[in-house]
Amino acid sequence: MRKRLKPYLSAFRLRALLETQYRAAALGGMATQLFFGIVLCCVYSALFTQGQADVTLAETVSYVWLQQMLFRALMASEGELMEQILDGSIAYTLLRPVHQHTWWMFRTLAQKLVGVAMRLLPMLLCMPLLPPEMRLSLPESPLAAAQFLLSLGCGFLCVTQINLITMAVSMRTLDNRGISGLINLVMMFLCGNIIPLTLFPPRLQLLMRFQPFAQALDAPIRMYLHAQPPAAFALSLAVQLGWTAALWALSRQMWNTNLRRIVIQGG
Amino acid sequence: MTQTAAAMTAEHLSKTYIRRTRGRGILGLTGREAVQVKALQDVSFRMEAGEIVGLIGPNGAGKSTMVKLLTGILTPTGGSCTVDGLIPWKDRRAHVRRLGTVFGQRTQLWWDVPIRDSYALLRDIYALREDRWRRRLGELTDALDLGELLDAPLRQLSLGQRMRAELCGSLLHEPAWLFLDEPTIGLDAVSKLKLRDVLREENRTRGTGILLTTHDMDDMLALCRRVMVLGHGRLLYDGGLQELLQRYDREHTLRCVFSGTPRFGSLPQGVALRQEEGAWLLTFLPGQIPVREVLQLVLAAGELREMTLREMNVDRMIAGMYAEMSL
Repeated sequence: MRKRLKPYLSAFRLRALLETQYRAAALGGMATQLFFGIVLCCVYSALFTQGQADVTLAETVSYVWLQQMLFRALMASEGELMEQILDGSIAYTLLRPVHQHTWWMFRTLAQKLVGVAMRLLPMLLCMPLLPPEMRLSLPESPLAAAQFLLSLGCGFLCVTQINLITMAVSMRTLDNRGISGLINLVMMFLCGNIIPLTLFPPRLQLLMRFQPFAQALDAPIRMYLHAQPPAAFALSLAVQLGWTAALWALSRQMWNTNLRRIVIQGG
Repeated sequence: MTQTAAAMTAEHLSKTYIRRTRGRGILGLTGREAVQVKALQDVSFRMEAGEIVGLIGPNGAGKSTMVKLLTGILTPTGGSCTVDGLIPWKDRRAHVRRLGTVFGQRTQLWWDVPIRDSYALLRDIYALREDRWRRRLGELTDALDLGELLDAPLRQLSLGQRMRAELCGSLLHEPAWLFLDEPTIGLDAVSKLKLRDVLREENRTRGTGILLTTHDMDDMLALCRRVMVLGHGRLLYDGGLQELLQRYDREHTLRCVFSGTPRFGSLPQGVALRQEEGAWLLTFLPGQIPVREVLQLVLAAGELREMTLREMNVDRMIAGMYAEMSL
């Protein structure tokens, strides 16, 4: 019996050993779940005990749909880059006389824009099939629509920088599961993709609105729902662009350091 | 670019990798050690613009490391190298703009788009003028027989077609230096010949310096007059290919076919005999025994139907050389 089980026990042992290699992933996963548990409890307790903030159901529905339609913009899924990082062929892109960070930034932007467009239009066409109370409403006004589009453009730029940082971290760990999994989950949450940021308790609103992830989709969606007065709009754009610039500088720095490291350590 | 610098030089070029061993214990954290792997040690050479040089050596000898250092995607741990006055890893972008590279095992074009689109992207990357690019693309697609393949995505091409497409991509911007890493691996005879023709032509008309890594001795013989042999990270030989062949392939083989069974009697010292596919092979060292004696031996053995002399066996030369250099 023991003899017949031997190959399988051996496989078990090898896989178990391999699994211990992913200590960082395990730690990341645990931290994620802990974080989510705490925050979800906070949000629900606020909703149940205090009655929610001044947000209507219709607004929340629209918020949810816009998040879903624009979801593609969030993900750092430049599959080819990740592949190249994992198999080391990223080093071969150094054979082209281009700046790596800028190169991948433009590729990521293209992927986001087209990816969103291809999903957004069919989803809009599906809206009339839903019960009226579950449909996306039109922008509050033409001004709201214009502000939304402008802000969305800045949001794309901002989230691209966040993605580039994720990739830079993956380049160091050579394993995207831990970091990408963690960042993507945290990002979805902090972007308002899991629970609309507008539903967070009022005392957290300020924090929620100004953190970097809110610049991606939350800021534009708020404008879609309510056109902003010029000063508030300008402030919002400034916050978006400020974060974009800061994250751009950080991600560029990380990429340069990484590439030097690749060059020094070997492809 | 200074005038004296139209060359590729390496001085005491070295590269040592650090590899961490897996430790003991459940977490694998205890007893981890850093092992130094000396991939390249103290390599010095000078290659003039317009030369074609073959780079050979067994797997793991340091060929790829050397190519990566010279192309600027690795930084050496010791020594230095320059290409036309530029330091590859320091002046990376200026340096790679003047390079063409083909790696037999890795594609440098874009997998999912028609190769024409890849070439258009290369036009923009290297900032080539539209008319010049168009003319050059025309030349290269003619020479490499790519005309009908331009609208096919790379992934649909056969290996031979893919390598021709890669070579075209590497030459579009008229590089001063071309690095080829096993460009003919797995190719059929026709594709190999075509590739070699284009390389020779490029070298002849534009003075493109070519560093060719290969295991294929026919590539070497067709293209290179000079070879560098690497082994265990060291430069073991740098000189003429013919001299190398003469040094390590002194053995000649006489292939004889007899009607009936020949009788050789006792063989003189220095001659070995074996049978292969109905023929008799006599191997000997011309310096050790006069050719006349070997011929007499053959004529005396029986009714000779055909006879050929194989004077150069490159595979054996390589094997012999590696053995002697204890690789």
